[in-house]
Amino acid sequence: MNDLAIEIHSVQKSFGKSEVLRGMSFQVERGQTFAFLGRNGEGKTTTIRMLLGLLNRDSGMLRVLGRDPAVEPLAVRAQVGYLAEDQTMYGWMRAGEILRFVAPFYPTWDHELALKYANDFEVPLQMKIKHLSKGQNVRLGLVLALAHRPELVILDDPALGLDPIMRKQFNRDLITHLQGEGRTVFYSSHLLYEVEPVADEVAILDEGRIVRQSGTEQLRADVKQITLPSDAILALNKKVKILDQRPDGNEVAITVEGAESVVEQLRCESVEHRVTDLNLDEIFEAYVMGQGAPEIGKFAGVAKS
Amino acid sequence: MSHGPIDSPRDNCYSSVVTWCNSLVKVMILRIEKGSAVPISRQIGGQIATLCASGKLQPGERLPSVRELARELAVNQNTILRVYERLVHDGLLEMRHGQGTFVTDGARANSLVFHRQRLLEELRQLTRQGVALGLSSEQLHELLAEALDQLREIAPNLEETSQ
Repeated sequence: MNDLAIEIHSVQKSFGKSEVLRGMSFQVERGQTFAFLGRNGEGKTTTIRMLLGLLNRDSGMLRVLGRDPAVEPLAVRAQVGYLAEDQTMYGWMRAGEILRFVAPFYPTWDHELALKYANDFEVPLQMKIKHLSKGQNVRLGLVLALAHRPELVILDDPALGLDPIMRKQFNRDLITHLQGEGRTVFYSSHLLYEVEPVADEVAILDEGRIVRQSGTEQLRADVKQITLPSDAILALNKKVKILDQRPDGNEVAITVEGAESVVEQLRCESVEHRVTDLNLDEIFEAYVMGQGAPEIGKFAGVAKS
Repeated sequence: MSHGPIDSPRDNCYSSVVTWCNSLVKVMILRIEKGSAVPISRQIGGQIATLCASGKLQPGERLPSVRELARELAVNQNTILRVYERLVHDGLLEMRHGQGTFVTDGARANSLVFHRQRLLEELRQLTRQGVALGLSSEQLHELLAEALDQLREIAPNLEETSQ
């Protein structure tokens, strides 16, 4: 057993002519809460379907809990809990009935645990599924995903359609019942401000590749906006990775990786500059929408269209 | 005038107010602003330091456990743990084995060191704006004095309560 719950290396996947994943690589350590971020349609759900062995990759390496889901889909699914993005369940069943219906599919199903979670999550077992609120529905889905004591829990945009109160309650459940019990959580989302308080690690998917994987707090410390005189940008080390740059009069605001060393360098060379902290939304935007610098210093003041 | 990203209203930003209430543990109100440019760990650490500085958290008082506070705030347990560890390192809190996390005797004095750095940073930003607007050193000092006067008018015993 290695320490990785998920290991993905250079995975490619196309649907017809459309290339969705173009050499995606990332790793999730056991026990981590890992947020998988990307714009809608970037391949988050495609990736999740591969992790579950519901879809095969065209090339590359993929392991879930040390197994290849394309080869041993059932063995993988027995150890993985999954909450789908648009969980549809039989509306005519009562919540309690679906628990008994799903149980036989999992050899390790613990029905007492299922009832305990249903109680903790305040899921009304007597109610028909079609009458559950959106929040109750998501939490019933979570009971179904957890009752076989999975090592890895995959949540596909669980906060989608939940109001702020329900999202907070859901995050609490996640913190108490998943992080608190040392499970690995792989969590896709597009609500970044919801991800930040919860995730240990984040990965940003853009154009079929992971453009950044980092600890949540480290990312905030590492990526910052620095405003400096336009001509001073030439003084920067060529290795500095500029994610975005915006001319502002005779100054330029650049968003950089490795902010600490850039600031150190500017200080050494006595370049007047201001550092601005960015929130996770702004960092995400810099990675997926930013106008990087193919050649440092070459920006002719072209406005971003 | 722009006051930076924190003050600009964002549709994805809302705050969460938590009152921690328990017969054994001190009541503590923490407010987390999501989507802020200030990382969550710094928000929580700063607020606990403020509670120590103002005396709302007294030496010897016990804080909620990492688990309890994580659940209450809906924040990752590792984040809370890092905040507590940082405050232990800065001498505001101490972890007593098997008993929990407590406010230290020197918490108030140590929290001032913690805050001095933050205040200096904020004053530096304000000063930069003032200089950019063409204010002289005297005018900047006048403004600070005026701000202090205004506060004294609202709260005449301002300085006594913070001693």
